[in-house]
Amino acid sequence: MRLFQTSHYFNYPWEQVTAANWKKYPNELSTHVVSVDILDRSINVERQVLRTERLIACKQPIPSWLSCIVGGQDRSFIREVSEVNLKEKTLVMKSHNMTMNHILQVNETVIYRPDGDVPEKRTIFDQQAEITAYGSFKRICEKIEEWSVERFGQNARIGKMGFETVLEKINKTW
Amino acid sequence: MGNIMSASFAPECTDAKVKYDDCFNNWYSEKFLKGKSLENECTELWDEYITCVNTALAKQKIKPMLDKAREDQPFSKEEIQADVKEHYERTGK
Repeated sequence: MRLFQTSHYFNYPWEQVTAANWKKYPNELSTHVVSVDILDRSINVERQVLRTERLIACKQPIPSWLSCIVGGQDRSFIREVSEVNLKEKTLVMKSHNMTMNHILQVNETVIYRPDGDVPEKRTIFDQQAEITAYGSFKRICEKIEEWSVERFGQNARIGKMGFETVLEKINKTW
Repeated sequence: MGNIMSASFAPECTDAKVKYDDCFNNWYSEKFLKGKSLENECTELWDEYITCVNTALAKQKIKPMLDKAREDQPFSKEEIQADVKEHYERTGK
């Protein structure tokens, strides 16, 4: 498992950043995001928390040659759960990939909150991700082998059928 | 506000989604953030949209994958609270 962490800030108030967050996609740079859906939404009045579950679809982020090996889906799905806490002024978003997660699992946590120095003007963005790759090269190789055997079988069947038609044609003039 | 809204994973739900999103975004900025309302006012549009989504999730066979994801990663409120705590301990103020 590898950890990834980054943080920076946006020169906008926290409220504005959280409102923009719902309108983040589509945008010109994130063309890989093809759809965003809300699956569940609830409000905890006592805690002043808005909880949202979303389904985000991306164009397959893996190289096409790999997608041939591991199964050629045209899109991958990410599930995201977020909580906007109005009392504490935090927006936490947690997400993970639901597709291809037998090969690569990415668990991301993003936090937006006002900058303590200029809380009315600036928002801190903190991003952490845990990335775990499963399936050693051995497993990928096994998959390639499996796929190759399958393709070989398919081609062999096609080859056999093709040869049958040739034999049939020749037989007529024999 | 004339923003381009993102599509639904199911094209047949995009219309309902755009209507719901419009209503939600307006409620979020104008009421929720200002502490004026802690009650979602877009319930009718939501019902229409989520019915479409649930049907499409089943039809496109995404539901089982989603159920498993929810089981694997509940992302509970306790977990989220722990993340916030860890964040403040690490970054300060």
